[in-house]
Amino acid sequence: LSSEIDIGLQVLDRQLLDKNGRRCGNVDDLAIEGGVGEVPEVVAILVGPGYWPQRSGLIGKLAGWIGGGRRVRIDWSEVDKIGAAVELKGEATELGLGRGDDRLRPYLDKIPGAGR
Amino acid sequence: VSKILGLALGILAAIGGFVDIGDLVFNVSAGATFGYELMWVVVIGVVGIIVYSEMCGRVAAVSGKAVFDAIRERVGFKAALGALVASEVVNLMTLAAEIGGVAISLQLLSGLPYRWLIVLAIVGLAVIVWVTSFEWLERIFGYGGLCLLVFAVAAVKLTPDWGKVGNGFLPHLAQNNKLLYAYFAVGLLGAALTPYEVYFYSSGGIENRWSPKDIRLNRANAIIGYGLGGFLSFALMITGGALFLGHGISPEHLGTIALGAENPLGRIGLLFALVGILFAVGGASIDTVFSGAYNLAQFCGWEWGRYRHPRGAPRFALTWLVLLALALAIVMTGVDPVMLTEYAVIFSVVALPLTYIPILLVANDKTYMRHYGNGRFANILGLFYLLVIMIVALAAVPLMLLTNVGQN
Repeated sequence: LSSEIDIGLQVLDRQLLDKNGRRCGNVDDLAIEGGVGEVPEVVAILVGPGYWPQRSGLIGKLAGWIGGGRRVRIDWSEVDKIGAAVELKGEATELGLGRGDDRLRPYLDKIPGAGR
Repeated sequence: VSKILGLALGILAAIGGFVDIGDLVFNVSAGATFGYELMWVVVIGVVGIIVYSEMCGRVAAVSGKAVFDAIRERVGFKAALGALVASEVVNLMTLAAEIGGVAISLQLLSGLPYRWLIVLAIVGLAVIVWVTSFEWLERIFGYGGLCLLVFAVAAVKLTPDWGKVGNGFLPHLAQNNKLLYAYFAVGLLGAALTPYEVYFYSSGGIENRWSPKDIRLNRANAIIGYGLGGFLSFALMITGGALFLGHGISPEHLGTIALGAENPLGRIGLLFALVGILFAVGGASIDTVFSGAYNLAQFCGWEWGRYRHPRGAPRFALTWLVLLALALAIVMTGVDPVMLTEYAVIFSVVALPLTYIPILLVANDKTYMRHYGNGRFANILGLFYLLVIMIVALAAVPLMLLTNVGQN
């Protein structure tokens, strides 16, 4: 990781990629720890519509509810690189990301031509 | 040959954006109402969309970032969610209008009942998109739409007063009917800069796997594609002016537009016009349905893209299928497609600033654009067009109300 990054601009609301380059969510929020007098530290990336209500008011609640309200917490140590996207060290499925696509795939596969 | 085929993205984005059902009617109506007096507005619109398409295509080629990705990153969750809702509503309205346009052109070609043809249009589009690669979608609908060049032949055959046409390119105000003139100007600018063009164009660059070495291809696509779109706009406006001005005819139906080619060129002209309209509104359906799916997927961070195939991007595929189904429900109510698209154009200008400001910011971000970032020329033009967009966005709804949607 580069020595200095702006987490508000370069991490928050950025595309997440797993180690295979699969798009597997967006940085919906960040978990920051540190009490009074301590240096605050980012400990995790928070992913999923379940975190949307805390980002915005009524419309965020509604969107989060429509989105199913799933919450996934990715430990900061999983972050590999921060560039145009935030790249992770592991695979999406192992981290619990991209589950909606994985669950829908078997149904679409029943329609001929889904793999081309 | 591969170089010409490489321009398909720009041509499809431009034909779908410039000569979709709304523009066909809007351009010919502008000609029928004001002659050639609004040509200069089209020039401003064409240059603006070239500037911003080039920018967002360059961002896509260098960083792999499409427009809605950039919107969320730059304006934050809350404003991006607002932009998402607005763009989805406008995209769906436009999609429904284009599907209606496909059904109308099929009806004019075949004579079968309109409602059957709506279903046929939706099922046909769904099957074509499901089985066809992105490259072939671009080629079929982009190059098929070129049949509309018949309107350029028609415009010449109608022997317009070329001196007056030339004067139309000089910016000026109308002597009378100023409000209606302003409404047409705002509508033409709004239609030229419709947000779905940049959503589709930038994501299309990624569909085509553009990399930094395709920067020149991107520039050629933006200039030639939208230049051609603008050329077709001129041809339609001249046809409308030469044929309908002063006769009290205001073309409000796609069939009337096609008559613009039949009058000077006969049945063959009519056939080219109808086939061209069919491919252009079909291409616009593809632009809008994909834009809707791209935006949602990019906002949520889902896998997306036709190049992934449905099984590689399942939620993206489901999104465009659902959008087609919703569009079917809307057109089946019998709502007038042309009216729907006029409202869609006017409302889309409200979403314009939230779309174009992030593109300008991202294209200046040296951290991942490196030396491919905007030069001074692109930034000056970009800022000028932001000003134009702000004016258009503020004026659109009041003008729509004051002129009763251009009916007075």
